[in-house]
Amino acid sequence: MSSTAANAESGDLALIVRRTIRARVERVFDAWTRPEHLVQWWGPKPVRCSGAEVDLRVGGRYRIANQFPDGKVLWIVGEFELVEPPNKLVYSWSLEPGAPSTERVTVRFEPRDGATEVIVVHERIGSAAVRATHAQGWEGCFDGLEQFLDVTRTSPA
Amino acid sequence: MARPSPAILDDERLDAVFSALSDPTRRRIIARLSQGTASVGELAEPFAMSLPAVSKHLSVLERAGLVRRERDGRMQRCHLDARPLEAAGEFVEHYRIFWESTLDQLAQYLEEEDDDASR
Repeated sequence: MSSTAANAESGDLALIVRRTIRARVERVFDAWTRPEHLVQWWGPKPVRCSGAEVDLRVGGRYRIANQFPDGKVLWIVGEFELVEPPNKLVYSWSLEPGAPSTERVTVRFEPRDGATEVIVVHERIGSAAVRATHAQGWEGCFDGLEQFLDVTRTSPA
Repeated sequence: MARPSPAILDDERLDAVFSALSDPTRRRIIARLSQGTASVGELAEPFAMSLPAVSKHLSVLERAGLVRRERDGRMQRCHLDARPLEAAGEFVEHYRIFWESTLDQLAQYLEEEDDDASR
């Protein structure tokens, strides 16, 4: 389930996506933040996570490798702004290679009777576009995201 | 199920669309025009706003390719072009698909692990 909201001040769009998962919050939080788990599940099918580094603290950085079926790797990188185990994470988000962006992701893990509702808020979606228009020599900053889209749309269900 | 590739997104135009959407008055103007054309005067009516002020908002919307003005006798009629909105929406759609698929994978990972453990 997902919805989109416009932030009146910044003009950026935010995307909200929710999913209830039959597992306790602590397990879900661990799966989200530990590299040994991330390499087993992270990514929109059929992209797989071929490596991850997570320095789980405010100011710590993370890097997640997204490997496409053709072997090409795209990194998602960022820095933690808030770490409140096991319920909340806030971090910046950029794709490498790609234009630098100030996108931000907030993930909440809320207990629901032994299950967990995961709520992802992805903000400042327009920011990568804004910076790309001011930078010289960048290719379209959506290239990385378009690759995810192409591969998820054409993979068998 | 394969769908045709989305249109290539023009970075500058996307920036202009997001800027256009960043103001509540402009969003209401877009909503009003989605119901049909209107003169500048008709658009100004619901707001306590002067015609030049509305005109400034319309200029921002024109630069984003969302609105065009046409002379109709002594007044100007405003028309909405929703195509740039669709392009901006496509971009958000990219992320929606990304996250929904990623969360599917998380659910599968945790729920299968759980099922295995309970056997």
